[in-house]
Amino acid sequence: MEKKATPFLPLEMIIQILLWLPVKSLIRFKSVCKLWFSVISDPNFANSHFLLAQTNSTRIVSISAAPPQIRSIDFEALLNDGSASPNPNLWLPQSYFPLQMKGSCRGFIFLHCSSNNYLWNPSTGFHKQIPLSPIDSRFGAYFHYLYGFGYDQSRDDYLVVLLSYDPAVPAHFKSHLEIFSLTDNTWKKIEDTRIPYRGHYYYYYYPKVGLLFNGAIHWLVTHHGSSVTVIVAFDLMERKLLEISLPYSFVGHHCVSDIGLWVFGEFLSLWAMTDGIVEIWVMKQFTVHYSWTKTHVFPIGAIPYFSPIYSTKNGDIIGTIDGTGLVKYNGQGQMLGHCSYCDDPRGSQVVMYTESLLSLPGDHEQV
Amino acid sequence: MASSSSNLISLKTSDGTVFKVERALAKTMKTVQAIIEEADANIYMIPIHNVFSHHMDMIIDYYKLSVAGKSKEFSVEKLDNDELKDFLLAVHYLNMEDLFEVLTQAVADRLEKKSVGYVRKYFGIENDFTPEEYAAIRKKNDWAFKGDDIEPEEDEEKQEE
Repeated sequence: MEKKATPFLPLEMIIQILLWLPVKSLIRFKSVCKLWFSVISDPNFANSHFLLAQTNSTRIVSISAAPPQIRSIDFEALLNDGSASPNPNLWLPQSYFPLQMKGSCRGFIFLHCSSNNYLWNPSTGFHKQIPLSPIDSRFGAYFHYLYGFGYDQSRDDYLVVLLSYDPAVPAHFKSHLEIFSLTDNTWKKIEDTRIPYRGHYYYYYYPKVGLLFNGAIHWLVTHHGSSVTVIVAFDLMERKLLEISLPYSFVGHHCVSDIGLWVFGEFLSLWAMTDGIVEIWVMKQFTVHYSWTKTHVFPIGAIPYFSPIYSTKNGDIIGTIDGTGLVKYNGQGQMLGHCSYCDDPRGSQVVMYTESLLSLPGDHEQV
Repeated sequence: MASSSSNLISLKTSDGTVFKVERALAKTMKTVQAIIEEADANIYMIPIHNVFSHHMDMIIDYYKLSVAGKSKEFSVEKLDNDELKDFLLAVHYLNMEDLFEVLTQAVADRLEKKSVGYVRKYFGIENDFTPEEYAAIRKKNDWAFKGDDIEPEEDEEKQEE
C-alpha cells in the first residue's frame, strides 16, 4: 500500500474539536483560513462554545488608574503557581477614562463612563455603546447609583439595572429604578410603589456592584424607614424587586467593618468582617430565610482587607486584598496562598468575568 | 440456533479480524446498534468499515476502564497526530459519543498552545488570506499570539533573527 496521506477531518468534526479550545486559542486560530475565521466569528458557534466552556474560564480584569493599565488575569493559575501571564494588550480608547466597571455577564463587562456606558468583551475587543439613563444624565454626580448588569434567558436579552437616589433628601425618601433592555435599546423607568432603599452606608464612598445570581441582581441596601440592612434582588425575568432579610445571627452586629455579597458554589452568600475575622453565611434555599446557614468563621491574618469573590471546586475561597492582590483560604480558614497583580499601591478596580466569544446584536465597533 | 440470547456480538474490522464483544459494548456504538436493530434475522457478523483492529483494541481498553469507573485513566498520548486523527474518524464512524468527546478533547489539548502554522499543517489547510488581510487580523488579535506558553509563528522566528 502507498503511504497514507494525512487523514482528512470533515468540518463538522473540526468544529467539535474547536468547541473545546479556550477563547485565546480560538481568537488566534481565526487566522488559520477564511473558513475558520467565519466559523469562529459565527454567533451560533460563540453560543455553543460559551455554554460548553463556562466552568473553565473565569478571569479578572484589573484596571489601574494612573497610568491606566488594563490586564486580564487568570487568577487561579496566578495563585496556584504564579504562572498566569496577564494579557497586557487589552486596550480601551482614552475617551472612556475615567471609567468604572459595574458588573459582568456572559463575557461582557459593563463600563460606566462620564458620558456613556459601554458593554465590552475583553476577549474579543467587541464593544457597544449604551446611553446613560435619564436620571444619570440629569443628576450626574449629585445622585448615588447602584448598578447591575445581567441576562434574561427567557427573552435572550441583556439588561442594565439602575437603582438611584438623592442622598441629600431625608424625608419622603424615594429611590428610582430604571432598566435598559438591549433588545428594546431604551431605558425604562419601573414605576413601583415607593422604593425605600438606599445604598448601604458602607458603600457610601465605594458603591458595590450588583451581584448577578440565579437570574436576579442583588444589592445590599438599607431600608430607609427602618434603617435595617436587607438584600434586594431584581428578578430579570419577572422584572420585579424582592426583599431578602439577612440571617438572624447577623442582625445586630454593630462592630462589622464591612459586608458583601458573593456567590459561594451554587449559593448566594453573605460575608461580614469584624475585627479581622470573617464570617460567611450561605442561603441554602434561595429566598427561604431560615435556610441561611453560617458556614465559615476564621481570622484573615496579616491581610489588610479581604473580600471574597470566588470559590473553587473544592471549596477554597479566593478574595481580593484591597485591589492590589488576591488571597486564597481553604475551608478551614488556612491561607493557601496570595499574590499581587497590581503594582500601583492605590490598587485597581477589579471585576470577575468569564471568557466568551459572544457579541451583541446591533451597531457596534471592534476596539 | 438463535444467537440473540448470546451476550457476544461479532464485529469484523477492515483488516479482517473478528472481535467478539459484549453486547453492552456494542450498544455504545450507535452505528452497530442500528445494524443490529434493523436486521430481521439474527445477525451473525457485523462488518465495521473504516475501523481497524488496532482501533478496536483501544476501544475495548476504553470500555473496560469506563466500566471500572476509571475512564480518566484512558490516554491516547502514545498515538502520533495522524494515528489520533485516524482513531477519531473510526470512533466517529461507529458513532460512540463518550469516546468521541474524549478524543476531540485530546486533539484540542494538543492544539491549544500551538501556532497558526502548526494548525494549518495539522489539518492540511491552505492559508487563503492575502498578506495584508493576515497582517490586519494578526495586529488586531496580537494578544492571542503572546504568552510564554504559546508556540511562536514561523514567520516571527525568522524576523527575530
